[in-house]
Amino acid sequence: MTYGQVTKVSRWLLEHALPPLVFFAIVLSAWQAATMFWKIPVYLVPAPARVLEAAQGHASELISATQLTAGGALCGFLLSLITGTVLGLIFSQSKIIQRSIYPYAIFLQTVPIVALAPLVINWFGTGFGSVVVVSFILSLFPIVTNATAGLTTVEPQLIELFQIHNASRWQELLKLRLPNAVPSLVTGMKISCGLSVIGAIVGEIFAGYGTQRYGLGYLITLTTGKLETAYAFAAVLCSTLLSVAIFVTVNLIGSSILARWHVSEPGGSNTTSE
Amino acid sequence: MNKRNADLISPIHARISIVTIAIVLLSVQAGCDASKTSSGTADASKPGLSEPSKSGGAGLTKVTLQLNWFPEVEHGGYYAALVHGYYMEVGLDVTILPGGPETPVLQQVARQAVTFGIINADNILFGQAQEVPAVAVMAALQTSPRCLIVHESSGIRNFEELKNMTIAMSTSAAFSHYLQWKVPLTGVEIVPYSGNVAQFLLNKNYAQQGYVFSEPFVARKQGGDPRVLMLADLGFNPYTSLLFTDRVRIDGEPDLVRKMVAASVRGWKHYIEAPDKTNEYIHQVNPEMDLDILAFGAKTLAPLVQNTTDPQPLGAMSLARWKTLADQLTESGQLKPNAVQVERAFTTSFLPSP
Repeated sequence: MTYGQVTKVSRWLLEHALPPLVFFAIVLSAWQAATMFWKIPVYLVPAPARVLEAAQGHASELISATQLTAGGALCGFLLSLITGTVLGLIFSQSKIIQRSIYPYAIFLQTVPIVALAPLVINWFGTGFGSVVVVSFILSLFPIVTNATAGLTTVEPQLIELFQIHNASRWQELLKLRLPNAVPSLVTGMKISCGLSVIGAIVGEIFAGYGTQRYGLGYLITLTTGKLETAYAFAAVLCSTLLSVAIFVTVNLIGSSILARWHVSEPGGSNTTSE
Repeated sequence: MNKRNADLISPIHARISIVTIAIVLLSVQAGCDASKTSSGTADASKPGLSEPSKSGGAGLTKVTLQLNWFPEVEHGGYYAALVHGYYMEVGLDVTILPGGPETPVLQQVARQAVTFGIINADNILFGQAQEVPAVAVMAALQTSPRCLIVHESSGIRNFEELKNMTIAMSTSAAFSHYLQWKVPLTGVEIVPYSGNVAQFLLNKNYAQQGYVFSEPFVARKQGGDPRVLMLADLGFNPYTSLLFTDRVRIDGEPDLVRKMVAASVRGWKHYIEAPDKTNEYIHQVNPEMDLDILAFGAKTLAPLVQNTTDPQPLGAMSLARWKTLADQLTESGQLKPNAVQVERAFTTSFLPSP
């Protein structure tokens, strides 16, 4: 690494990583101070130090629960990605199918998942399967709608250009519509991945896995039931970190796909223009 | 083209993060709303109904009583005291607030949002381990109504015979952890309880949790053959439907607490003798509970309130039983050793002298 690169990296860190960290430190201090100043009892709002203590004391449970929830969320998300993309492809090929089915896809967006989850358990049984199904239901819509938008909103001139050159329907789909859809599909993935974690946790709250293995949803209900609020906060923190981790991963994958397929991702174009 | 797209992307980025924040906020909001409406809807059904305690008003002390579940027979005596005007006679204008799943009864009482609450003994101890200053002042049910129901056709007669089957029960409840610690349950798959007896009726090799005055009745009514195994027979017997308040009120308003306890004990005595009028009121505030199940419930409940083989004054509690419960919760890994001081969890000093 040259000196120039080092200063560039440290400048990036200074500009991008420092502000949120400083903000985080301010919020934590204010939170800690508030709980001490007003003597807020631990079962109502635990101080950050108590949350940290709970997280350390239950580290192994939290890690295994986070892994299980991550599994459920990722399976639900991948299922959404595949199903959503296939649906988008079908919708882009037939206006009549799109018109008939798309309105029902909107139902997915409005379905009260908390009410539906217990029924999912009745249909798919308890355990991992139901968790994946709930996660899938919650994370499907952003993929369907973004994939469909990306595949159908193509500049008319480009379609004309393809038609002038006698391109087949297949070529039009592969060489025009699919590349055109990538940015919006990536957008859909970014929205959907966070939802998949929420879905997995809702699923776990209702479906559970029995008692030998459990995810974060179970930990959250167990600890709130016993008023172990600090432990519950630690579990919620784990689910948030899980969402962030999945989001960052999806973002990185998205950026690299966009950089390859599309020259519009700011990271990709910046490096080439500079 | 390149430049224009780059410009387009950044607002999209901004929008994505706003959308994510909005989703998180919405889901948090939704969670709050859900818990609010669960108690709110039950509450909304109240106005317009005959309110027995409404008359008078002048000179009465306003008191709120937060239930831990939808109004049912396990709250019968408290409703009886309301319906028959016992609270009013001692100068209390009591409002009973229905609860539901996830109602934060302990927190509501501890932060003095309500005056009294109804909860079970294990919750009081879990609360104390987390510094909740809750104190039980009377125990309505001496015997816990908690049970498992199995099929009579299965031939199972005790907990040791629960093998190679499915048991549906709350995986977070204290009794469930205790049962799993106490009984081998070889080859048993434990699944969360869905809240109804549908799976029980469908599956012969299946047991589920229940309250003895509710699920067995429903299962039988639907054509099932339930046999009841009482958790109390296994030795796990926390006092149920306790009346409790916070320590500050115990020290600051002992007179109020004494009146509340006295009227509630009177209500319970009346309820186990003649529950019909109270049941009609419970049916009004919770139409889900039909009069026939309430009548069955009250009949089944009476021996749990007043044990005929080992008669205790109504509402009584003993240090020995509280200690047993604390030990059981500690043995089964639900409480850390020495996490609670049972002497501080309850007091019998407000009970009327027999």
